[in-house]
Amino acid sequence: MFTHLHKYHHRRRWELDSESNLQLTDLEEGQTGIILEIEGGRHSSKRLADLGLAIGVEITMITPSFFSGPVQISVCGSKLVLGRGLASKILIEPNERKQ
Amino acid sequence: MSENNNINIVLAGQGNTGKSAVFNYLTGLHQHIGNWAGKTIEKSEGTLFYKGNTIDVLDLPGIYSFTTYSVEEIISREYIINQKPDFVINVIDSTNLERNLIFTIQLLELECPVILDLNMIDLSRKKGITINTEKINEIFNTPVIPTVASRGSGISEILDKVIELKGKKTSHPIHPYGKEIENCIGQLSESLCDVDLPYPARWVAIKLLEKDKDIVNLIEKEYPEIRKKSKQLCKSLEEIHGHDSSIVIADERSLLAFRITREITTIKRKKISLNERLDAITTNKATGYLLMTIILGGMFLSVFTFGNWFSGLLDGMFKEWHAWWNNIIGVTTLASLGWAAIESIFALFQIAFPYILPFYIILYLLEDWGYIARISFLMDQFMHKMGIHGKACVPFIIGFGCNVPGCLACRIMETKRERFITAVLVTLVPCSAISVIIFGLVGKYVGVWWALGLYLFAVILIFIAGKISSKLLMGEPVELIMPMPDYKTPHLRTILFQTWDALKEFVFIAAPIVIISGVLIHAIDLAGWMPAIASVLSPVTVTWLGLPAITGILLVFGILRKELILVMLAAYLGTTSFANVLTPQQMITLAVVSMFYVPCVATISVLWKEYGWKKAMIVCFVEIVLAILLAGIVKRLLDFVFS
Repeated sequence: MFTHLHKYHHRRRWELDSESNLQLTDLEEGQTGIILEIEGGRHSSKRLADLGLAIGVEITMITPSFFSGPVQISVCGSKLVLGRGLASKILIEPNERKQ
Repeated sequence: MSENNNINIVLAGQGNTGKSAVFNYLTGLHQHIGNWAGKTIEKSEGTLFYKGNTIDVLDLPGIYSFTTYSVEEIISREYIINQKPDFVINVIDSTNLERNLIFTIQLLELECPVILDLNMIDLSRKKGITINTEKINEIFNTPVIPTVASRGSGISEILDKVIELKGKKTSHPIHPYGKEIENCIGQLSESLCDVDLPYPARWVAIKLLEKDKDIVNLIEKEYPEIRKKSKQLCKSLEEIHGHDSSIVIADERSLLAFRITREITTIKRKKISLNERLDAITTNKATGYLLMTIILGGMFLSVFTFGNWFSGLLDGMFKEWHAWWNNIIGVTTLASLGWAAIESIFALFQIAFPYILPFYIILYLLEDWGYIARISFLMDQFMHKMGIHGKACVPFIIGFGCNVPGCLACRIMETKRERFITAVLVTLVPCSAISVIIFGLVGKYVGVWWALGLYLFAVILIFIAGKISSKLLMGEPVELIMPMPDYKTPHLRTILFQTWDALKEFVFIAAPIVIISGVLIHAIDLAGWMPAIASVLSPVTVTWLGLPAITGILLVFGILRKELILVMLAAYLGTTSFANVLTPQQMITLAVVSMFYVPCVATISVLWKEYGWKKAMIVCFVEIVLAILLAGIVKRLLDFVFS
């Protein structure tokens, strides 16, 4: 459940061009991924970090966005709701599909 | 700071950790709410006596960090640093330990004496999480006390600990960040060593690297050479990590929280619980909206059915009392003014007990259970179209009870712009007094569907008003960031406390204004100026809206309390069977004007207090024009429908 992966933590910006990277909003229900990058201002990045959404952290999609609404994710063992616009600014590397 | 038997403690923690429950349990009813000087953020303080000690408790606002992004955060850290409380009780939600530890680490960086309160320990056990408290003690060198604040268990242990440790020096071990960061912190703290600041050197160093606005400005002004050095160090960190230095530190901190959490917890994965299934159903796109409609619809229906019955009961009682008053005091001008004051108090009771009280009990029951957060989730997209986000649902729903606590609840919105937009929209939400008019006039004599149609009309109007005001007020819309609480068994004590809090705002803010202006308007009535007012307003009421001239008087009275419109209508027309004196068109038109034409005095006073008199007056003016315009159009459409 608590799944930071250390090796991802010092990932650099220039490693971000791989094609497997997705936006958080692209994750399907139950799918997990590692945060690679949080785009957008320092303000929202900082607020997200205070809630445990930091680079290298594993997150699980609980409820994908419907009707262009927000997403519900699980991070650090806590559930968090993020507006769709913000969620699309979070880039992730998806783990393998799990059921 | 502490003298012999005086102990000063502060409660700090993230939102939704049960901090208020701890506070309420500690202080019982001996609490007093005040404002921070010059700010509209409330502080709750209380005093308790325990084993021969006087303990002052302060409840800091729920925050997620100590960086200067919000007023609450600045206030909290300044308080801890300047007032030097004897102990900071860090209330932690045990079910969300990792996230809460991110805050704890920051709190410990302030180098104040901390006691950790692992709250909701019962729920985390239920989730299959075992927390090793001795290990936490070892890591942080702080006392750790598991509690279940809603039941009060563990609270006296906190107090015992406070008394035991009073006056003893404590120090917390440093939790190092990554090598590069520690290197930077070390260099900065060294140069900060002989600098005279109220803050700990290591903390200032970290804040400089985090580019905290206040601290950077302070250092820039006093010690420009240190600021220069911190700039260089930030740059070097950014070169290594490829991110802004503030993000690097935040990332490291959450990594630290993760490592510590792994050390102190063991998790036994339990099978999917009932609550998790419930969560899935209530946030699902198909069943979620259906359930929301049923739950909220059921709530309104039951409250207003109960309210009508109970209010009728009280009405009969008060009428008898008026007769007694006239018999005993006699019918003089002064006596009649006195009765106006008493009548205002009764009228407040008649709204407060039958409608607002049950409404808030159900609302806070839903909130404590965890359902209101699901509504925010479901409604976020809809709210987003109005330039605000899902959390605005909370003030809206509160506003259906009474606009006063509704407007005050807008404080949960993050920016000034959102707060103001939400508050303006809340004033358009039909409160229970307006619902009395809608159901007592339109629902009863025209038809229930027409009454429900008026609510739909209000929703559409609020939506359009939201769209317009978010266009008019420039600014970035803020995205929803909301921790989703787990469903939990609602706790009666907490619900009653919250209900009282909301009702208190109605009683202490609305009541005095309503009573004073009630007497004033009654005096105007006694002076015989009412017909003059009616005739002055008749171009609007009679010509444009097609209503009887006396409605002008009603609308003046209605500024006090909207439900007065109905009460006075009966008084002036001399009958309660409105169908004999008003056409259906007139009833609907009157209801539409009453709904939107101006917020009641109590709401205006809250707008004034929170946003200044200019904005309050603009809102009133715009709403008066809007309501008259709309009602006139509605009247013409209705003439067409009913002819």
